[in-house]
Amino acid sequence: MGEVIVITSGKGGVGKTTTTANIGTGLAAMGYKVALLDTDIGLRNLDVVLGLENRIVYDIVDVTSGNCRLKQALIKDKRLEGLHLLPAAQTKDKTAVSPEQMCQLCEDLKSDFDFVIIDCPAGIEQGFRNAIAGADKAVVVTTPEVSAVRDADRIIGLLEAADLREPKLIINRIRPKMVRQGDMMGIEDIIDILAVDLLGVIPEDEMIVITTNRGEPVVTDQNTRAGQAYQNIVRRVAGDEVPMMNLDEETGFFKKLKKIIGLK
Amino acid sequence: MAYIKESAQGDILSGFGQGSQADDNLFDENTILVQRTLRSGQSVRYSGNVVILGDVNPGAEVTATGNIIVMGALRGVVHAGANGDETTVVMAFRLNPTQLRIANHITRPPDNEKVDMDLPEIARIKDGVVTIEAFQTGGERQGKAI
Repeated sequence: MGEVIVITSGKGGVGKTTTTANIGTGLAAMGYKVALLDTDIGLRNLDVVLGLENRIVYDIVDVTSGNCRLKQALIKDKRLEGLHLLPAAQTKDKTAVSPEQMCQLCEDLKSDFDFVIIDCPAGIEQGFRNAIAGADKAVVVTTPEVSAVRDADRIIGLLEAADLREPKLIINRIRPKMVRQGDMMGIEDIIDILAVDLLGVIPEDEMIVITTNRGEPVVTDQNTRAGQAYQNIVRRVAGDEVPMMNLDEETGFFKKLKKIIGLK
Repeated sequence: MAYIKESAQGDILSGFGQGSQADDNLFDENTILVQRTLRSGQSVRYSGNVVILGDVNPGAEVTATGNIIVMGALRGVVHAGANGDETTVVMAFRLNPTQLRIANHITRPPDNEKVDMDLPEIARIKDGVVTIEAFQTGGERQGKAI
């Protein structure tokens, strides 16, 4: 029996889809059978981030409305054997699926996969309620901005009300230098407000933009800091104990040397 | 001939042209003219031919039982001959679809190649395979009249 994890945030643009793609890819690379479920009906992105857009024939609405079987709609990833995507519909809206149907869908997926990871839409309306309906665990993504932290707090409250206790937190796009200068909220400040367990911290990294546009999750590139951060998160999701990454950038001689010879 | 201009229409246009299939593959009576660009999430479904004066962006869908002609860039998903008619064609000024379907054939561009043709192209089924070639005027050179 697998585990259903919903990735949510409240605020848009903090990295839910990127996180979903990376955790899914990372788990599949470790040998787990993973299903990614895009519930952002009408504004789907997960397929694009994974580079699978042109393979879509059926989507989540076709499955819940009985137009096709679940197996037909699941798209196999082009790189990893164990990774599958159930895409959202683009020409429908959030009301095309009900929370009850989502519960049933998660149950069906759970029996076939080790992990089912749900990409939640922004907002707290029907899309959010659908996404969390069948989830066993929740991961909240936030960035070090007051607005994102405020929304994360609201989301944690709603998750607890829906009996998804003890959600885990991912802090995305942190800039250690700005935190040191006191210009950005630090990890402790955020934990202080939200009072939940930290699953991981991802530093701001230009490689995210590059890999996302290419349709290859950054976790596959272990030479990037964001890739390493995601890999650590993936191992924690899988149950390993991994120490937190040291975010302070190395500034020593070797770092400079590596940069010169292009190793980064 | 049905005609749709930019208006307060919803995201999904659908309809059925009247008149039966004239001769062979010529749906002369039921053709819809969509005079706008289809953006992500918008779709056109029509029983007949569809002509689009604009682009079809990624995430948009056009489904027709007849032929589909895009007077612009086709970057979304198109399905011509949705009722199984293998004689239908898809033509576009810039044919770069996410996915191209004709009757029950589904094709997508290869993963690692980016071909950027700067000329109108036409897709049709030839010997059971979806074939894309440059569009040239003149019925004989096309193999058949459209």
